Amino acid sequence: MKYMSSAGEYNVEKPGTLIARAARLAPELRRPFAAAVAVTFVATIIRLLGPLVIREGIDGGIVAGDRQTILLAAAVYIGLLGLQYIADGLSQWMVALVGERYLVRLRSVVFAKLMRLDAGFYSRSKSGVLVSRMTSDIESLQEFASDGAVMALSNTLTVVGVAVALGVVDWQMALAVFAVVAVLVGVSAVFQRQARRAYDQVRERIGRVLAMLQEGITGVRVVQAFTQEQAQASTFGRVNERYFEANMAAARAISWYFPVVAFLRVVALGSALAIGASRVMDGTMTIGTLVAFLLYLEWFFQPIINLSNVYNLLQSALAALAKLFGLMDEPVVIDDRPGAYDLTEPVVGAVELDAVSFSYDPGTLVLDGVSLKVGAGERLAIVGETGSGKSTIAKLIMRFYDPDAGRVTVDGDDLRDITERSRVDALALIPQDGFLFSGTLRENIAYSDSSASDESVWNVLRAMGIDDWVRSLPEGLDTEVRERGGRFSAGERQLVALARAFLFDPSIIVLDEATSNLDPETEVQVEGALRVLLAGRTSIVIAHRLRSAERSDRVVMIDAGRVIAVGTHTELVESSPRYRELVEVWQRGTK
Amino acid sequence: MVEDRSNLGDLRVGVALLLRVIMRYQGVVAISILGAMIWMAMILSIPYLVGTIIDLVVTRSGMSEVWPLLGLLLIAGSIQAVGISLRRFFGFKLSYRAEADLRNDIFTHIQRMAFSFHDVTSTGALMARASSDLSQLRLILAMTPITVANLVMFFVVTAVLIVIDPVLGLTASLMVPALLYTSGRFAGRVVGFSFDLQERLSQLSHVVEETVAGIEVVKSYGQEAHQQRRLDREAETIYDAAIGMAKQRAIHRPLFEIIPALGTVAVLAVGGIRVLDGAMTFGEFVAFMQYLAVMVLPLLITGWFFANLPRAAAAAARIDELLSTAPDIQEPDHPERLRSGPGEVRFNHVSFAYPDGTAVLSDVNLTIPGGTSVGLVGATGAGKSTIAHLIPRFYDVSSGSITIDGVDVRELSLDELRHEVSVVFQESYLFSASIAENIRVGDPMASDDSVRSAARLAKAHDFICGFPDGYETVVGERGSTLSGGQRQRVSLARGVVRDPRVLILDDATSSVDAIVEAEIQTALAQVMAGRTTVIIAHRTSTLALVDNVAFIEDGALVAFGPHDELLATVPRYAAVLAAQVIV
Ligand SMILES: Nc1ncnc2c1ncn2[C@@H]1O[C@H](COP(=O)(O)OP(=O)(O)OP(=O)(O)O)[C@@H](O)[C@H]1O
Ligand SMILES: Nc1ncnc2c1ncn2[C@@H]1O[C@H](COP(=O)(O)OP(=O)(O)OP(=O)(O)O)[C@@H](O)[C@H]1O
Repeated sequence: MKYMSSAGEYNVEKPGTLIARAARLAPELRRPFAAAVAVTFVATIIRLLGPLVIREGIDGGIVAGDRQTILLAAAVYIGLLGLQYIADGLSQWMVALVGERYLVRLRSVVFAKLMRLDAGFYSRSKSGVLVSRMTSDIESLQEFASDGAVMALSNTLTVVGVAVALGVVDWQMALAVFAVVAVLVGVSAVFQRQARRAYDQVRERIGRVLAMLQEGITGVRVVQAFTQEQAQASTFGRVNERYFEANMAAARAISWYFPVVAFLRVVALGSALAIGASRVMDGTMTIGTLVAFLLYLEWFFQPIINLSNVYNLLQSALAALAKLFGLMDEPVVIDDRPGAYDLTEPVVGAVELDAVSFSYDPGTLVLDGVSLKVGAGERLAIVGETGSGKSTIAKLIMRFYDPDAGRVTVDGDDLRDITERSRVDALALIPQDGFLFSGTLRENIAYSDSSASDESVWNVLRAMGIDDWVRSLPEGLDTEVRERGGRFSAGERQLVALARAFLFDPSIIVLDEATSNLDPETEVQVEGALRVLLAGRTSIVIAHRLRSAERSDRVVMIDAGRVIAVGTHTELVESSPRYRELVEVWQRGTK
Repeated sequence: MVEDRSNLGDLRVGVALLLRVIMRYQGVVAISILGAMIWMAMILSIPYLVGTIIDLVVTRSGMSEVWPLLGLLLIAGSIQAVGISLRRFFGFKLSYRAEADLRNDIFTHIQRMAFSFHDVTSTGALMARASSDLSQLRLILAMTPITVANLVMFFVVTAVLIVIDPVLGLTASLMVPALLYTSGRFAGRVVGFSFDLQERLSQLSHVVEETVAGIEVVKSYGQEAHQQRRLDREAETIYDAAIGMAKQRAIHRPLFEIIPALGTVAVLAVGGIRVLDGAMTFGEFVAFMQYLAVMVLPLLITGWFFANLPRAAAAAARIDELLSTAPDIQEPDHPERLRSGPGEVRFNHVSFAYPDGTAVLSDVNLTIPGGTSVGLVGATGAGKSTIAHLIPRFYDVSSGSITIDGVDVRELSLDELRHEVSVVFQESYLFSASIAENIRVGDPMASDDSVRSAARLAKAHDFICGFPDGYETVVGERGSTLSGGQRQRVSLARGVVRDPRVLILDDATSSVDAIVEAEIQTALAQVMAGRTTVIIAHRTSTLALVDNVAFIEDGALVAFGPHDELLATVPRYAAVLAAQVIV
């Protein structure tokens, strides 16, 4: 089985391409972004002016013994701080505005893409992984936007600015410091490689932790029924421990790197002092210059350390971007082709499968040259062993998948030529387990049309004969159905899914064992309603209870992905031994 | 129940949990704090050395006196590195260890919580407890040792500064309260937004989860636009919360830099004049400047710590609430052993309502003689599954009692009870694991042979062998890569692989075709022989197979007896099934 090959990854090694692509996503934000960068730039320059003022205060004031200058320098500095406050605040604010707006866009675009992907993609991917694209991946971008971006920007500018300032103040001392920085850069490269490997592992293992956590929650009833709580917990403990170990590997990298950086910082300080001290004693340098240099030095290393910290945020932001783009690059298999047209209204509802072959996994043919015709307004039953491919036919008619060979047509038009909008309006599928969204009963029934009036909802309920049941619920239509409809019994969930489809009012309706959990009495009642509601509509019914087959205009029997018999119920009983056997067994079961 | 919302009142609970965690890892915390202290001591001695060197420079004492001090500076640098390393490593160890252990606790706890809890708690909320909430906790724990050292440092530095020069010292140390006040204020302003943000993020994730889980419904009704609107709405509210937070950041964050800078100005002005007055040396002046510079980072970290503490405490409070919610189904203190017996199941005056008040069963009296089988029949929603769920104590009865061979199920250890009662659920949930592993959930000790014979019995063996990987075929989440009938048969195999005293089949063949169903029934006859079996089914063939039928209507037992008898004597029973007879 092809499995677990979730949303493909993008190359993280090329941050440039990633960022360029990220920028293309929201061209209208480029200008505000440039403005934000400009303001950050101004803020950084103002910050860098500070030590120069202090140097003046020391050299022109303290060393020269001039009180005036000291006070003047202090006043100027305070003025600068005022400006810095405004510029810094503005920069934070502008970067956040741009960043958060960008994220709104990104969430929307990624989600839209997610919904366009086909059923095959969904069955290949773990739902937890898909959800994490929209949550943790985008959240790590958010973290970067709110904390990292300004830091990255202003610290980079600071480092560059201070490097220039150091050179201007005294190039000899600056050279000594740069030598130390060169060592630092080398050390950082080693660290980054180690850290990247560690964080890759961390990311992979957290994925497993979350996947297992999710199954531990959704499958908890099964776990308890079979008293597997401890077994589950200990398996989880192992997966969790592996995640812990990956984290500690990262921690070890950090625990040697930052001490080394701190040490190098002291080395830089020492060399500057050694050179500075002898030069001041030589008289080739003022004491104020030395002090200013030392102040700058403080400002040189801290931003480098900050950048190292930000680098981790940046790495995970880039990794997140890479995964998001990987998802964006997934091919949309089921899509309107150029020149796709609408079905001609009114839709007559003739459905045809023409020599359709299909496989989920290459090599395992599930449908093998299936041809069948459903006339407009006809009711066709599909019967066959479990796993013979009945639901697959239903999914092809809904165009959840495209056939590998052959074609599926509605009113003579290949589904692939018809616009999605028009196809969706014409068709409805009621699947084996009707999925309910958490929310009220009303929201679920009126899912296809949230503006549907209560009256039309009640009409459907009445037609199905379940209005009394809904009325008997303490909160009626406002009953919360809970996650996956957990508030209701399995049969009740099927009733809701049926009501939802009837309200939708399609021309063609596909029922895939949509009544399997109902008691016979309710089923008959629903069948009666079906007949009224489906009058004049095309319906395709998959059911193991052959009563549905008997009531159908025609029956198709599928075996191992092939059509082995077509005809009316009576015809088939006559002509097909397989069908006769099925009917006999079934009748024995119901007598 | 567990919700994503928290109020400030919970913070105390959260902090208490944090303290408990810290106490649990005392050793690691201690080493990390020790490392932080070493680091701090060195950070303080470095400016002192620099100041001394500058004094030597000013007095032109010659390089020979400077070199030894530079040597000391390097030594201090090395010791500092050791301190940082200890602080970081053990800080991480504390935080990751605590995170991993708590995650295990949460997982184990979730596994123990009863059905009633899971009925009303969303998967997303539980996921958040064990992921994002824990991350909050981890971050704050990692920062705890350094914050302790920082707080000590502020006192020491203030003292040192005041000793060097009382006037200047007091002036400079004003920035400590100023900064702490600012960060406290910032924290207070931001905490509301960050709760809000957390809440909205989880709303968004809920929308995504549902869309992914229900994608087929979304697509078949063409409701992509509807889901998109829901998501965009959530994204907008996230934007609002994030921008609200950004505003506070823009107002407060720059102050974290400005306030120390103001300290520098004060030192420049006041200190400069005092140097001119001869009240302090120039070297002392430079040392002052260095001390201020050195304190900025620790102050910022401390500010960050207190800014994030409320958020982390709120997360901790949510975790604590989850961990301290006792499961509704409790082990008895002194469990009784199940007596050896045929497996008689008896309902005595059982009434039951779901915790939300939905009354389902009223005064049900039902005796299933040991070793016999009973079919439960009733309309949709009559309460059949509910009856089945009460026997293995997935829920406790509201009144009355249920006994197995004379022992109240509430007196038995859950382990023993659920070992003896095997349930095949109506919904065939499979794990994304191999088919063999899925069957072995029923009995982890089962040999390959018994796995196969269970699969044969459930008529699953043939189709499993048809897969290229056979029993090792890995199925999708919830079994999504199998057809409905295949899924149901694997789940049936899982239920029969063990050898229980009581077997419960809840509509276990609803998705299989008539022929396979008939085959399964024949096979089941062997399993049922001499075993108490409860079958929920509507198919007459199944009902003909069971010894008795219990007919449930509106939560009450209205008839009990052999199928033929009920068919003849109870018109409603015939009505519920009749549909099938009139072909
Ligand atoms: N998403 C999938 N990926 C891979 N294989 C699949 C997938 N869905 C179904 N199959 C396989 O395709 C075959 C046909 O499945 P399908 O669901 O069409 O059967 P069915 O006739 O509807 O059966 P049932 O009566 O049990 O619902 C089965 O062997 C099944 O294992
Ligand atoms: N977790 C729950 N909380 C509240 N009410 C519930 C819950 N589960 C089921 N119910 C209600 O209890 C009643 C009985 O449900 P139950 O699942 O026992 O029915 P059932 O007879 O098995 O139906 P079906 O034949 O559809 O499976 C239903 O009306 C249902 O709405």
